[in-house]
Amino acid sequence: MKRFLSLAVVVVLAAAACSSGSGTAAPAAKPYISIVSKGFQHQFWQAVKKGAEDEATKENATVNFMGPNTESDVQPQMDMLNAELAKKPAALCFAALDSKAAGPTLQKFKDANIPVIAFDSGVDSDIPLTTVATDNVAAAALAADKMGDKLGGKGKVGVIIHDQTSRTGIDRAKGFVDEMKAKYPNITIIGPQYGGGDLAKSADLAKSMLAANPDINGFFGGNEGSIGGVLNAVTELHLDQTKLTIIGYDSGQKQIDAINSGLEYGAVQQSPIGIGQKCVVYAMKAINGETKFDKVIDTGFLWADKTTINNADVQAVLYK
Amino acid sequence: MSSAPGLPVPAGRTGAMVRSDFLQRFLAFGALIVLILFFQVWCVLIGTNFLTFENFVNILVATAVVGIMALGETFVVITGGIDLSVGTVMTISMVMTAVAITSQHLPVPVGILVGILTGGLMGLANGVLIARFRIAPFIATLGILNVARGLSLVITQTRPIYFPNNPEFQSGVMGNLFGLKISGEFGFPNIAIIMFGAALVAAFMLGKTALGRYTFALGSNEEAARLSGVNVANWKMLVYVVCGLFAGLAGVLSAARLGSAQPATGFGYELSAISAVVIGGTSLSGGEGTILGTIIGAFIVYVLTYGLQFVNVAQEWQIVVTGGVLIAAVYIDNLRRRQRV
Amino acid sequence: MTEPLVVMQGILKDFPGVHALVDCRFELLPGEVHALVGENGAGKSTLMKILGGVYKRDAGVITYKGAPVEIPNVANAQRLGISMVHQELNLMNHLTVAQNIFIGREPRAHGIPLVLDEGGLNDLAAALFERLHLRLDPTRRAGSLTVAGQQMVEIAKALSFNSSVLIMDEPTAALTDTEIDELFRIIRELRGQGVGVVHISHRLQELKQISDRITVMRDGRYIDTIGTADAKIEQIISMMVGRTIFEAVPEVPEKTNPEVVLEVRNLNRGSAIRDVSFSVHRGEIVGIAGLVGAGRTEVARAVFGADPIDSGEIFVHGKKVKISGPIDAVHHGIGYLSEDRKRYGLALGLSVETNIVMASLKRFVSRLGIVRSALTRSAAELQVQNLAIKTPSLNQRVRNLSGGTQQKVVVGKWLTADTEILIFDEPTRGIDVGAKSEIYHLLNALAHEGKAIVMISSDLPEILRMSHRVVVMCEGRVTGELTAAEATQEKIMTFATQREAAA
Repeated sequence: MKRFLSLAVVVVLAAAACSSGSGTAAPAAKPYISIVSKGFQHQFWQAVKKGAEDEATKENATVNFMGPNTESDVQPQMDMLNAELAKKPAALCFAALDSKAAGPTLQKFKDANIPVIAFDSGVDSDIPLTTVATDNVAAAALAADKMGDKLGGKGKVGVIIHDQTSRTGIDRAKGFVDEMKAKYPNITIIGPQYGGGDLAKSADLAKSMLAANPDINGFFGGNEGSIGGVLNAVTELHLDQTKLTIIGYDSGQKQIDAINSGLEYGAVQQSPIGIGQKCVVYAMKAINGETKFDKVIDTGFLWADKTTINNADVQAVLYK
Repeated sequence: MSSAPGLPVPAGRTGAMVRSDFLQRFLAFGALIVLILFFQVWCVLIGTNFLTFENFVNILVATAVVGIMALGETFVVITGGIDLSVGTVMTISMVMTAVAITSQHLPVPVGILVGILTGGLMGLANGVLIARFRIAPFIATLGILNVARGLSLVITQTRPIYFPNNPEFQSGVMGNLFGLKISGEFGFPNIAIIMFGAALVAAFMLGKTALGRYTFALGSNEEAARLSGVNVANWKMLVYVVCGLFAGLAGVLSAARLGSAQPATGFGYELSAISAVVIGGTSLSGGEGTILGTIIGAFIVYVLTYGLQFVNVAQEWQIVVTGGVLIAAVYIDNLRRRQRV
Repeated sequence: MTEPLVVMQGILKDFPGVHALVDCRFELLPGEVHALVGENGAGKSTLMKILGGVYKRDAGVITYKGAPVEIPNVANAQRLGISMVHQELNLMNHLTVAQNIFIGREPRAHGIPLVLDEGGLNDLAAALFERLHLRLDPTRRAGSLTVAGQQMVEIAKALSFNSSVLIMDEPTAALTDTEIDELFRIIRELRGQGVGVVHISHRLQELKQISDRITVMRDGRYIDTIGTADAKIEQIISMMVGRTIFEAVPEVPEKTNPEVVLEVRNLNRGSAIRDVSFSVHRGEIVGIAGLVGAGRTEVARAVFGADPIDSGEIFVHGKKVKISGPIDAVHHGIGYLSEDRKRYGLALGLSVETNIVMASLKRFVSRLGIVRSALTRSAAELQVQNLAIKTPSLNQRVRNLSGGTQQKVVVGKWLTADTEILIFDEPTRGIDVGAKSEIYHLLNALAHEGKAIVMISSDLPEILRMSHRVVVMCEGRVTGELTAAEATQEKIMTFATQREAAA
């Protein structure tokens, strides 16, 4: 019995220890908005979270932002949706890991008259009132244009993307590769290969690409982790950075430093803060009874290189 | 018996033994109740309610897949081994079910069977490596973990496979018994009934069959079992096959729940399953363990995960707490064990 | 003459680096008790394990009931009707007594394959115990029995096969006289039924009592088989050791210095150690005698801090010390030489030099954490010379040395650590005869130098020969203390079996 009690004490203490990190559920007056994202650990998602929280403060709402540990955790994301549904939120913002798998659960939100706003990679369903996202095809095409110009229309470019199942992965690979083929037919594309957005894995991919094709003169990395891996590989191999044109996606401290130092030519910037902010804006509109929105809310993208990175508009979307 | 030379049997010693078995169950079960009450108190403090039927159903559904995996893992852990591959064996079972139903257009029951047997086959691979080639379980199952993980991606070409023509597969597993609704939209989910059914089967196998007896024998003293004429290698292989079959069933249920086979998922689930087994009082050094304990352990893991989210604890802290509870549970179990010796 | 049950001929068995058996013979008649004797390592157990299906022979022929047989595994032996009680306890501690006895032969419920009938199982076990006049509870966990109880379970298990051949490898080591009498009663009964019983034992007196014939083995070879009635114990011993005299002269050096170096008072740990007190003087060898499971090793481990104690005090040079772990023990100059050298005493894969300096490495390390190899080398060389450690070089891996040499390496390790109190746990177990006397000389030399020595041994002649004083234990208690002059085998055995009055 003593031991049993001591277990109880341990459990209580352990849980109490974390209450400092917890938000409390909304008092009835403040609308509570659930944001179920695709992750929470990457800086990108933290930037989305910040945008959402800042906007929520402005609009006097409460948000609870969460996401599974990895982007393959389809089932845990489902459990999160169920738990949020049980809390009867005023609105849900949702970035699906797998739209179809989430379908039945989203239907329950619809049945409960909880408005759903999709964001980032969107949700293949007619339940969300709108989707707040970057036009990834256009953004990746911009990266291809910059690469093609810099290389003078010829050369070899390695492409490393985070994954080939998510919408963003598919769109970025397609946007870059199609644009390159259409506008710069003399540039050979190696890949795309997929590194799961993992630094180490993406670095290994880049190294093996370099080993097989020593004459590579450009790299495109499809998200923060992918391009981070490329940068690691180039640094570890002590390659001559003047012979390589490296173009990335998103920001983060590592990329910002690389762009400033000239190691990386430039990166396409989405606006994760803008995504988070717009999510809450549209969720609040839906809570207040609006239902007619554009199908897609484009949060835009910008080009950041050494010359533009300190411009105010670019600085506004960078995250560290 | 007056001439008996033997050994005095202190009366009441067996009674004490029974009591401590009872204590073991009570301990885990008590911890689960404390955990639930703890969340209820927290919820009341922040003005909501934890003890709702909806939460109950959500926790049942969330527990089912890993719970079933943990059943098989219990057998392996009692033998003193470990199976790290259950998570991705679940994945490949899910994938094979989808291949059978969607690409091969086989009837759903056949697809389910294919999924479960795929798990059994991977378990057999583990068993052969461990019992025949004498590779340490940790290494053998780590290898199979990656083989299964990679094969899942190869077979699906890394894309999820859906069940567009078989909605009954998903609705059957996720629906309610006889379509009964107990509270609002919620009834008792079939997936949970399947888990409890599987637990009963596992408990019967462990407690009443030769397989169960040899599972304990292997974990208690493998050499003694061998010297008693028990075919140690064969039984050990069978234990890993059983573990694979349960992982296969978990894969089928996961496929039904998600309405799809997700080739990238599953990695990491093995740790949740092993946590459930260990929290449930099964000794990692073998020879001891119960199915009831494992099921309670699985519920402790998922009540914790669900509860922490329900009261809006930041995710970073959820991870910390989950780790802390695992350590606390095992430490307390050790204390109990030491006391008994 | 009746046809033999078992004939083994030309049996050969090699283990890596060792010829375990060379051209061995053995014959067992129905209805005879055949004793198999020899020094440790003579190959008795190995030969019988081949018959029991545990090992496979490398060459030779086994004939069973007139026909040549292969015995590839234990199950096969059991099917033939050969069962074996092993020297080491081989029980599954988490299983019940009944489950242990009938493992692999469990009755099935209503004949359904794989489904067990637990009630039927317990009934079977109860009937077996009834038949053997044993008081054992079938549903009790094997791990909760005493060593003697576990031994009885093993014997009951072997008898449950109703075999034609029953092999018992030192079954009496942990039993009391009454238990041994009961076992012999059962053996005689089996002999009457025509069962052939192989009895391996070190207790030669016991063999005179129970056996019909005696086969002697030495160094993996067959020496001779003689009728028990014709055999004299001296004759058997000389065949066992290969020479006529057993150096029976006790070598007890004079006790000169009365200073008490180690004193243990009222040590308690669960039921394993109960109120144990004893002391050791400078230059003295105190033998601790007792049956297997009497708690001798437990006391040694407790004094060394390897296991926690419930209560009790330990004094070194009259000063009370607190020993909460081996680190403290080494600090106070106590060294423990485990009976299982290979598991606890040595790092087998490392060199002689590394092993010798292991317990005192701190002294050989510079301030930056670098090992000063010149110092370790000379320290190791010193021990190799002093103890006459037979090793080709200091770099030799300890694994490749003989048992006696390994034992010396452990001694060297503790001497290097400036240990004053040495606890030897079965110092000559698994060591051949020649090396044994070297170990004895070493112990005497160490005592002469003023070390205080505790020697745990199950070998009574060894205890009698070496000890200045003998402390006898039974069931965790000290039941007697004898001076070298008073001690005899009989007195020691009386104390060793002095159990608490059983109800």
